Amino acid sequence: MAVFKVYMKITKKNIWLVCLYLAIFFVLTLLFQGIAGKNAEQEYTAESISIGVADGDGGPAAACLIETLDQTNQVTVLEDDGEMLQESLFYGKISYVIRIPDNFMEKCILGNDNVPVTTMPGTYTGSYVDQQISSFINFARVRAAAGFTEEEIAASMKNQEKPSVELLDIRGNAGEMPAFSFYYRYLAYLVLCVMCYVLGYILIAFDRGRISQRMRASAVPPRRQAGEGLLASGVLALVLWIFCTAAAFLLYGREIFESGCLGYLLLNSGAIVLVSVTIAYLIGTFVKNQEALSGIVNIVTLSMSFICGVFVDLDYLSSGVRKAAQFFPVYWYERVNNLVAEYGASAGLVKTEILQGIGIQLVFAAAFICITMAVSRQRA
Amino acid sequence: MIQIENLVKRYGTLVALDHLNLHIKEGEIFGLLGPNGSGKTTAINCMLALLKFDRGSIRIMGEEMRPDNYRVKQEIGVVMQDVAVFDELNVHDNIDYFCSLYVKDRKRCRELVEEAIRFTGLEEYRKVYPKKLSGGLLRRLNIACGIAHRPRLIFLDEPTVAVDPQSRNQILEGICELNRQGSTIIYTSHYMEEVEQICTRIAIMDHGRCIASGTKEELKKMIRTGETVVIEAVSLEEEQLRQIQNLPDVLHAEYEEQVLTLRCSETKHNLLRILGWLQEREIPFGQVVSQLPTLNDVFLEITGKQLRD
Repeated sequence: MAVFKVYMKITKKNIWLVCLYLAIFFVLTLLFQGIAGKNAEQEYTAESISIGVADGDGGPAAACLIETLDQTNQVTVLEDDGEMLQESLFYGKISYVIRIPDNFMEKCILGNDNVPVTTMPGTYTGSYVDQQISSFINFARVRAAAGFTEEEIAASMKNQEKPSVELLDIRGNAGEMPAFSFYYRYLAYLVLCVMCYVLGYILIAFDRGRISQRMRASAVPPRRQAGEGLLASGVLALVLWIFCTAAAFLLYGREIFESGCLGYLLLNSGAIVLVSVTIAYLIGTFVKNQEALSGIVNIVTLSMSFICGVFVDLDYLSSGVRKAAQFFPVYWYERVNNLVAEYGASAGLVKTEILQGIGIQLVFAAAFICITMAVSRQRA
Repeated sequence: MIQIENLVKRYGTLVALDHLNLHIKEGEIFGLLGPNGSGKTTAINCMLALLKFDRGSIRIMGEEMRPDNYRVKQEIGVVMQDVAVFDELNVHDNIDYFCSLYVKDRKRCRELVEEAIRFTGLEEYRKVYPKKLSGGLLRRLNIACGIAHRPRLIFLDEPTVAVDPQSRNQILEGICELNRQGSTIIYTSHYMEEVEQICTRIAIMDHGRCIASGTKEELKKMIRTGETVVIEAVSLEEEQLRQIQNLPDVLHAEYEEQVLTLRCSETKHNLLRILGWLQEREIPFGQVVSQLPTLNDVFLEITGKQLRD
């Protein structure tokens, strides 16, 4: 097992590089995970704004409108004094002004006049109130057309049942992506980099100068040498996979175990580790020195990570980029990763797509092996 | 130990080995001499089964040499012209790795590694990485990696290139010691003096053929030159040089920068006759040296060119 041992010794010599990449990976994953979490919170927080209402009508319909708006906003009834209203807006006491005109029923519900409103310039928060007013007017117009009086319209509005929304929460987390999905998303970049560097350095060492000739002249058959090399690569890949999986359990233990999709996560991450090994062998066949290795690994891993959904979510990529990304294995890894994160315990519903994605990764791995063997044979 | 019969190796239209015949006996230090492109390295690569050849046969230790003849390979050690060691492994680990490609028993392997380290004088450097070693030490490491498993047959392809004189002497002494311990050695070098110093038999190759082989004495007898006379600080005219060339037993005369070099046939009193001729014409001269033929003269006369051409 001489070749096997040398693989391990060279890896031990380059262990600092692996540690560096692991450190960068964990820092970035936790950082991005934190940022993404905050964004998600902001996106789903309903905002209530302060509204100033000058009721120039005083009728039941106007009162009903004020009451409706008050349910979701902070409504302050003010005097219909233009200067004072502008001042309140300027100093930010209120963000939105509604001036309910005299004869509100005739002008705005039965007629086609708009309810005069003023918003703070450069803000978009008022658009939600615009929708609420528009919704109220439409409701009132429908009832008025059906012969309802102003009082009846107001009473009908008060008695209206609030619409209830039933959230089809198949994963039980209100549509939020699980934290471990970020970890598994960036994992592709980590394993690609680590395997390409670790195996690349080893293959360069074996290809340096006349070492390969010396080995061919030795008493160990080339097939056995290659076999020991592959075994060592497999062990290194397995160690990396176990480490990454153990780290995931450590960071997200309960969440992962309760997600109901642990099997798919393990299969998918195993597939990308295997693909990384084959890519590393392919790169190692072409590269002759460490500087070139560094350049090529950066180009390959970063470009694949950017267009295949590691650094930028697949949903944000244009359809053209997504189509191009399908020619790379990382795309299929990320696709499976997204499906698993999206469906969670119900991932069985998309089992075919998931297994298809993993299968395509394995096909890529087989293709890379064939290319590497063809190139090696051509050179021999 | 090695029988090569009618070996032919072509690279496209270029004939690298042209019906090469070599017979190397067990216990020899066999020198392979030849200018660049003469086919030395190709011949060695064929012997090591690293290259396929077009015609002929190679038998080593009585067996046909094939890429899968690991029984023979087990007994062969190779020291490449370029240093072939791992930069990522220290001296000990490098030797250990190459030794373990031949020796499966770990205990025996450890013993052999220690012996090789002692033999090449690398005791103080066992934990040092190759990049930190000087050129001479690196060459010694290269040799240690090739001989650690105690092979019966060792190929040494220019092992002293770019090595300081002290390290070179140590390496040459080491090679002789390996031979005394029972290894047959195939040695190629550009340094004629080294070959003359250590080789028991020599083959001269040119254009892929073995054009002469034998002991150094046998080779020297193959040429007409018996003595080379060098006379320094002499002033000659063209007519006088022509007259010298026509003297009996002078095979060739060369006059350059006031140094007269005469190659004479193997007869007595060459020196006296030449000096007498100069004194008769009252031509003054400085230092006079008379040399017996060297391998360089043999090479020059047989191939018509210097070894480094």
